[in-house]
Amino acid sequence: MNGDELRGARRERVFEAMDEARLDVVVLGRRDSVAYATGAVGLWTAGTRPFGAAAVLVGGDRSVHLLSTWDTGVPPEVPFENLYGVTWNPALMSEALGAIDGLATARRIGVDALSPGFARAAGRLAPTAELVPADDVLGAVRAVKLPAEVGRIAVAVGAARSGVDAAAAALRAGASTTEALAVVAVALAERGSTVPTSAPVVAPVADGLVHVDVGVLVAGYEGGLGRTVVVDGSPDFRLDAQATAHQRRLLDACRPGATAAAIREAAEGASGWMVRGTGMGFERPVVTASLGDGVVLAAGNVLSVEITVEGIRRRDLAHLGADGTAAL
Amino acid sequence: MGADLSQVLAAHPAPPPAIDVGRMRRERHQRLQAELARRDVDAAVLLRSSDVAYATGQAVRGVDAAHAAFERPVAVVVAGEERPHLLWDDVDPGLADDVEAHPAVWPELDEGAESLAGVLAEIVGAGRRMAVDEQSGAMLRRGVFGGGPLVDAAELVGAAKLVKTADELACIGEAQRLNEAAMPAAQAALRPGSTRREVAGVFLAELGRLGVDANLIDPIFQRMPRSIADGPRTTTGHVAFPTGADETFAEGDLVWVDAGIDHLGYASDFGRTWVVGRDPDPAEQRLFERWCEAMVAVLDVLGPGVSGGDLCRAAEAAHEGERPWLPHFYLAHGVGVESAEMPLVGTDLGTAFDDGLVMAPGMVLVLEPVAWEDGVGGYRAEEIVTVTADGWHHLGSGHPYPPFAP
Repeated sequence: MNGDELRGARRERVFEAMDEARLDVVVLGRRDSVAYATGAVGLWTAGTRPFGAAAVLVGGDRSVHLLSTWDTGVPPEVPFENLYGVTWNPALMSEALGAIDGLATARRIGVDALSPGFARAAGRLAPTAELVPADDVLGAVRAVKLPAEVGRIAVAVGAARSGVDAAAAALRAGASTTEALAVVAVALAERGSTVPTSAPVVAPVADGLVHVDVGVLVAGYEGGLGRTVVVDGSPDFRLDAQATAHQRRLLDACRPGATAAAIREAAEGASGWMVRGTGMGFERPVVTASLGDGVVLAAGNVLSVEITVEGIRRRDLAHLGADGTAAL
Repeated sequence: MGADLSQVLAAHPAPPPAIDVGRMRRERHQRLQAELARRDVDAAVLLRSSDVAYATGQAVRGVDAAHAAFERPVAVVVAGEERPHLLWDDVDPGLADDVEAHPAVWPELDEGAESLAGVLAEIVGAGRRMAVDEQSGAMLRRGVFGGGPLVDAAELVGAAKLVKTADELACIGEAQRLNEAAMPAAQAALRPGSTRREVAGVFLAELGRLGVDANLIDPIFQRMPRSIADGPRTTTGHVAFPTGADETFAEGDLVWVDAGIDHLGYASDFGRTWVVGRDPDPAEQRLFERWCEAMVAVLDVLGPGVSGGDLCRAAEAAHEGERPWLPHFYLAHGVGVESAEMPLVGTDLGTAFDDGLVMAPGMVLVLEPVAWEDGVGGYRAEEIVTVTADGWHHLGSGHPYPPFAP
């Protein structure tokens, strides 16, 4: 599946989910939900952004409208006329949104988050519409990956692995942790990404052991890998084998149909762990010792599975196939 | 002229930095309390990374928006209380005395919204007048705030942070110094045949070596067209910047540089124009001189009591009556816990807004004029200044303008 086809497939899934949820329009503000639903790529910035209408999808005519002053990063299927430029002026923003066919007459408008400012604006733009949270609708669509998405996540994991390997090699050659972080940045740039998802970790723990964890966005998809690296001295094979075996048990427990209880049972004895969705960043579901009570895993989920056993940490991204869970 | 600008900037040095983080947090809390009182708000619930940073000192992390949404510290500022509440598991040890810590609540998840509602019931109580900056879908489903009217906390925090304290100014200056220190290596890596990613990788590696807290923006090294008609197509009819596009550089490319990092919760903003593989030609050099003229003209009038409109008119007068900045941006913007915040000068909010925006000591301006001559291209760079009681101070460390000026 090429990029055009993948974008089209994701977009169609979003429109179908909108139909099922009886959403006439969705207004998206989050970077990752805009990327999923439309394929638009903008400038990456760290942290959360103020909520605003970064993308508007209208179910009736299947149209996509994007907040962008230029057509760079805008998928070819979105016509230039469907772009509304960056503005600092709420009146101009309202005017641009008001020009979108189908917004003013919408009965139900879904949002992935909401600010008081946008709630007020929506009241003026679509006075009869009900504003409803749609993050769950989008989250459910995104949680089950298309095969082409899994392939792209695997590529991103390869980039993360190159970052971890580069840090490990540098640390073994005597590099400081700050120099190792610098080496990670260069390795990731060579593999096509200058954008982290999680903050890179190069953290000495004890006795020549260093936790290294890299999360990165490559062409819109998140890759990640975490390892505890032996920097000097000989590795403790017993500890390493123990952590690897426990991670294997946790990965095996993460199978279609698994509940949070089953995952927690497999993690028992670990000093720290987390299972969470991944794809175009941090996603649903999230299962920890205290979160995720109602979660049931499904085929097609891709999960970030992290465990710490006696100071040895491992994080792998895994795909839940119909016939088993495979680390990517 | 380039030399003149450098001399003007050097003649307005900021005092040497002496950052007292505890004092900075206390003074910010006082300002937030004053805004709560002014707006008759009982409590502000803050989810946005930069608002949380302002209220608590828990700095914005260099992570993607999706991570920041799930693994999300939440701040609650209650009117009349001495310290803000911070709902977060990994509270920086240095913050321990300045915040009331609670477990993280994961407001992106339905069960997290339930937890947040529980904490708010405990520390704020029912029937109070609340402000919030943003709500997750889960918070809307749970009805964390019931159906009552909500005050926009973004406006409340925006008013509190408009004028910076001395410690905040020092943080911005230090962020800028670190950002500038990482740039020579990146500029050396910009060669014919190199890619944006390679140059960005060199810059990010330098940040790692400098021990920088976080990178805030995918660093921009964008080759600019010589004519607007060369595209990309824009809604403004001017050039597109910053697009975030990846590209490969060729000799003679004019490259606009823009980057921002974090120091103790405060953002830098670095802007320059570079030329790939050669010195500027006379027409390009003239762009730089015109950019300097606009800068000097603005700095010449800058001071307390001057309006944003005055600054715009000074820039236009020095630029043959044309507005020397990008129409989708501004002549100047503030910087602080956010990389662009009020005061915004020269935006599409219009002249009346600019005229009503009066400079006061402690306001910060990132001046970013653009000198554009269609067919030649454009020069764009940025300098950070703060308004003082009798003029202004430069918050950069005197980074030069190579290859236009040594």
